[in-house]
Amino acid sequence: MHVAAQFGAESALLPSRIQMAFTLAYHVILVPLGVALPAYTLLMEGIGIFKKDPAAIRIARRWSVVMAVQFAIGAVTGTILSFEFGILWPKLMGRFGAALGMGFAIEGLAFFLEAIFIGIYLYGWTRLRPRTHFLLGLALPPAGVLGTVSVLATNSFMNTPGGVTLGPSGQVVSVDVLGALFTRALSYEFWHFLIAIYITTGFIVASIYAVAWLRGRRDHYQRLAFAIPFTVAALLTPVELVVGDLSARALVSDQPAKFAAIEVTWKTRSHNPEVVGGLLDSSGQVNFGISIPSFDSILIGLSPDTVAPGLTSVPATARPTIAEANIAHLAFDAMVGLGSAGVALTVWYFVVVLYRRRLPQSRWFYRAASLAGVGSYVAVEAGWVTTEVGRQPWIVYNLMRVSDAVTSAPAAFVWTMLSVLVAVYAVIAVIALTLLRTLSARWQREDAIQGPTAPEQGAPYGPPSRIASAAVPGQTRPGDSGPIHIIATTIVLGAFGLVVAVVLAIVFSFIGLGAVALRTIRGTRSSSS
Amino acid sequence: MTTALANVSAFVLLLTITAYSVAGGVDYGVGIWDLLAGGGPKAVRARQLIDHAMAPVWEANNVWLVLAIVVCWTGFPLLFQSVFASLYPLFAVALLALILRGAFFAFRHVQTGPQAQRRTGVVFGISSVLAPFFFAAALGAIASGRVALGEPNISVWQACVNPTSISFGLVSLSATAFIGACFLIGDARRFGMPDMVEYFRRRALIATVVLIVIGTIAIIVLGLENRPLFDAMLTRLGTPFAAAAVILTPVVGFLLWRGIFRWYRLLSVAVVGSLVFAWGFGQAPYLLPGQLTIAQSAAPLGSEVLLSIVTLAVVVLVLPSLALLVYLDQRGALESPEA
Repeated sequence: MHVAAQFGAESALLPSRIQMAFTLAYHVILVPLGVALPAYTLLMEGIGIFKKDPAAIRIARRWSVVMAVQFAIGAVTGTILSFEFGILWPKLMGRFGAALGMGFAIEGLAFFLEAIFIGIYLYGWTRLRPRTHFLLGLALPPAGVLGTVSVLATNSFMNTPGGVTLGPSGQVVSVDVLGALFTRALSYEFWHFLIAIYITTGFIVASIYAVAWLRGRRDHYQRLAFAIPFTVAALLTPVELVVGDLSARALVSDQPAKFAAIEVTWKTRSHNPEVVGGLLDSSGQVNFGISIPSFDSILIGLSPDTVAPGLTSVPATARPTIAEANIAHLAFDAMVGLGSAGVALTVWYFVVVLYRRRLPQSRWFYRAASLAGVGSYVAVEAGWVTTEVGRQPWIVYNLMRVSDAVTSAPAAFVWTMLSVLVAVYAVIAVIALTLLRTLSARWQREDAIQGPTAPEQGAPYGPPSRIASAAVPGQTRPGDSGPIHIIATTIVLGAFGLVVAVVLAIVFSFIGLGAVALRTIRGTRSSSS
Repeated sequence: MTTALANVSAFVLLLTITAYSVAGGVDYGVGIWDLLAGGGPKAVRARQLIDHAMAPVWEANNVWLVLAIVVCWTGFPLLFQSVFASLYPLFAVALLALILRGAFFAFRHVQTGPQAQRRTGVVFGISSVLAPFFFAAALGAIASGRVALGEPNISVWQACVNPTSISFGLVSLSATAFIGACFLIGDARRFGMPDMVEYFRRRALIATVVLIVIGTIAIIVLGLENRPLFDAMLTRLGTPFAAAAVILTPVVGFLLWRGIFRWYRLLSVAVVGSLVFAWGFGQAPYLLPGQLTIAQSAAPLGSEVLLSIVTLAVVVLVLPSLALLVYLDQRGALESPEA
């Protein structure tokens, strides 16, 4: 009791931040596969149906099981997050719920649709005609995009709030729906994150089959399951570099303190160097980093004379602390570094595919490819750390501080909840991995029965012998004419998905532009300006 | 306009809570019977049925919970803040139970052998007891009028633990076991397991009696503890629903006793729905009894309009797809759990 009373006096700010960071970081691992795996699965199923390739159908069926496992865990961790807004940040929702909550309301709808259509998709394998099954499955990617855009609408509101009128005590008194949903940051946050999760999913799936290649499985099944997700991810990686660059540059005007933090710029200046690595100290000095003269200014405005904002341009109480700035900076560097590595891998892949007209056969390529999945995960986490830590000390930029939003629950309570959550999440991770391993083992047993020799049984990721799997009768088929064909099909079917995505994006953008125009015409006083 | 839309949002909030009480209730109830099944060959068969019956729906139910949360914070931000500021311990326990449940249900599928299945099943079962109890206790705490506007004005423990919240929790627990058993009878019939039909018929009957006893005690507690809500349930908007619950529960009991397997599932849904509606309409127009009405807590017009649009979209998009999923589920009805 005495101890509890002692802790009771302490603010729950620190454990609340840790708990939110922990549960979000965990959820972010599940997001890419939850949103983008359905698209890859449908692509594979489409190939299976239109090219009459049973191997592709088999892959799609297996991926759909992974998708469901993934989604189920994501549903649980997502539910936890929504409760945490009440348990940890009740004052945030009390003040901004009317605006912030709207994105989540739409996400609720998207989540519902996804849950149902995943069910339909899994059930439909044996109970629907293939084409009907495929067509119903097409509902999944747009539902994922809808969920993504709505969650990012909420996050964008936290970064660049708008569309609300605040009363004297800071509460929301009127909400312009479109203005609050489509705030400035949404346009770049949406594309940056959506592409990131498609890349991550492509690489993580491909990396599993890259490992299979390294362990000797090199049949039609393995090639298909590797090449299709890898190609999609590889096509998107350079795009992400451009979108990411646009996002960073938008910060110069939208959130100068965040930009200054990720570039560890102390004083506003022209000819600002780009610092790679390094740590900012309390005197504004950067130690240990590699400095490229004037490069930051060039990146912002294509000229060394461009003025880059510095941390000190914002009062000390309204900008990230030195530690936070360093975290944001290093996370940003990690993300950019991994992104650049991804681009290098992509170039390697396309050079081999286009000049040699076959998939790469270097062990080093597959070693790199098997790391690409984990690398993308780290990049996604790092990007999220950059944007969240870089916004500190604000929970809603320039309007509400994190410390003003936190629960009045005793710190001991939140610490306890946090420790229990860590334990439970560890159990969930074990369960998920055991489940996936069990599935993988079972699938390999099934594949092995079709193969010519028994020793393949029990080996993880297929037959260990290279000769055994090279020419398995029934596994090479007339339709299979090498990687170029696979890639061509990928592009055709991918283009279809892209059309759907673009149509959605145009609709969203028009709504967004309309909202901005309306706001201007009406001259509503936006709180962000 | 805002008030009218706020009333719609409040009704939608009540509907999502009801949907979760029914759909989640079936799920939790099934978990409770899993816990109570004990050992032996009968229990193994009961768990087989439970596993088979639950697999298609267990992950989808969180959707109702998430919808209730988002409707609450978008439509009634101040209600959301107040409820969580005062009742966070209840939600924290319910939430932990909810994750453990989902996790250990999945875990059970990974494990083989009845022994290991039973061990993981215990966690699954206990969390199936905790979650409905604590979620309903939160509703009871709201009904008791102990949730203050904004920050709590009494100790959080007093707000959370009181006769009304405990009796709500117990009613929820027995109603959950009741509806779970009713649906398991239906599943046992669907999968052609006559021994399990009888097994769960007896348990459903016991649950009906328990529900009637606990419900009566809860009504007495409510009358002593919280006179306004008690009166509202007997004389105002809550009346028809309270009456429906009082009448329909024995009707289900009668059907089960005579082994008439018609209407009992629909009626069990009606019982649970009536209980939730009796509470919701009983305290209307108050969201926090005596302190905050629907109109006072309503979000600005824009947010309420958006909520209405989302609700409409749920009706137009989700309900037909849900129907399709149920249809596909029923279409596979011929496969037996042993297959």
